[in-house]
Amino acid sequence: MVVDRRCKVLKEMVGLEESLVPVAILAFGIFAGSLGAMLGLGGGVLMIIFLLLALNIPAHQAVALSLIAVIASSSMAGSVYIKDKMTNLKLAMVLEAFTVSGAVAGAFLALSLPVSAIQALLGCVLFYTSITMFRERETERFESSGCGSLEGEFYDEQACRTVKYDVKNLEIGAVASLIAGAVSGIVGIGGGVIKVPIMNIVMKIPIKAAAATSNFMVGVTAAASAVIYFQSGLVDLHLAAPTIMGIMIGAYMGTRLLAKSRSAVLRKVLAVVLAFFGMILLLKAGGILAW
Amino acid sequence: MVNVEELISWVLRTGVLSGVAITSIGFFTSAEIAWLGVLVLISTPFMRVIMAGAYFLSRKDLVYSALAAYVIMILVIGSFLRII
Repeated sequence: MVVDRRCKVLKEMVGLEESLVPVAILAFGIFAGSLGAMLGLGGGVLMIIFLLLALNIPAHQAVALSLIAVIASSSMAGSVYIKDKMTNLKLAMVLEAFTVSGAVAGAFLALSLPVSAIQALLGCVLFYTSITMFRERETERFESSGCGSLEGEFYDEQACRTVKYDVKNLEIGAVASLIAGAVSGIVGIGGGVIKVPIMNIVMKIPIKAAAATSNFMVGVTAAASAVIYFQSGLVDLHLAAPTIMGIMIGAYMGTRLLAKSRSAVLRKVLAVVLAFFGMILLLKAGGILAW
Repeated sequence: MVNVEELISWVLRTGVLSGVAITSIGFFTSAEIAWLGVLVLISTPFMRVIMAGAYFLSRKDLVYSALAAYVIMILVIGSFLRII
């Protein structure tokens, strides 16, 4: 059985008592899930760092577990957003054709890539995420001209009005989605960090609709690559439960506990932390640092 | 007329919660049950795409039905492929 073999590997690599690994994952999942929910960051980015660097889980297994966590948290959030009509369903269906294609290609590529390449790519993704977190979010309003087939609208609770918008530069969005899907399949994140800024700035979609629509696509994107890892026996069945549970409990707590407006400082702190781990991963990938 | 947003929301929530529940039972019992739980979880977004595709098909919106069909096709191809 894959599980038995894996537990032995874990014990050797982690040096942590075998029975404590699921507990550690559960605890960190709660932390990652709540922080993610507070900052509007998918839990995947934090989860993959922890699995790779703290637990030393082999890269492909870590990516597979992270993808499973991403499916759970994004589907749960997606079920809320779509009911609130924040999600642009038609746009999601167009772009997810691209993210899913990228995700399948990415998963295949990842399985034949050396671990150092995965670490290096994740390092770059962490730097990119860190930069986008430092940047102030767009508050610019985009008005709809009423033409085009993908225009959307949603009710903005803070502004107390219905926001209408057009979708611009669909072809750039399609390319970005393809890349985001591939990156997601290789490093085990949702890919929202890549898509949301492009949907907002280039496609002129208001940030709330962009985030909800991106999150909606993340579930199916992660599933497309997760199924390949799953079929290849790379999803650790013993560690799957604590991973999913942790992220979901955390996401639930995060949305209840803290208002997003208070998280400006936290955002900057996390941006620095992500840059730090990005550096570590790049050094590890280059063989300079043996963590 | 069925409200597609409500339906998709229900599919996602039910799928994830049952996936999590089954995987957790599997954690304490057997790897086979955990396997089933992970399968349910991974299948949840697939179900969502099928639902959306069926909805657009019922509205004779062929472009979006075709997009959903394409995504399902990719997912199915992916699920038949394995490495190692």
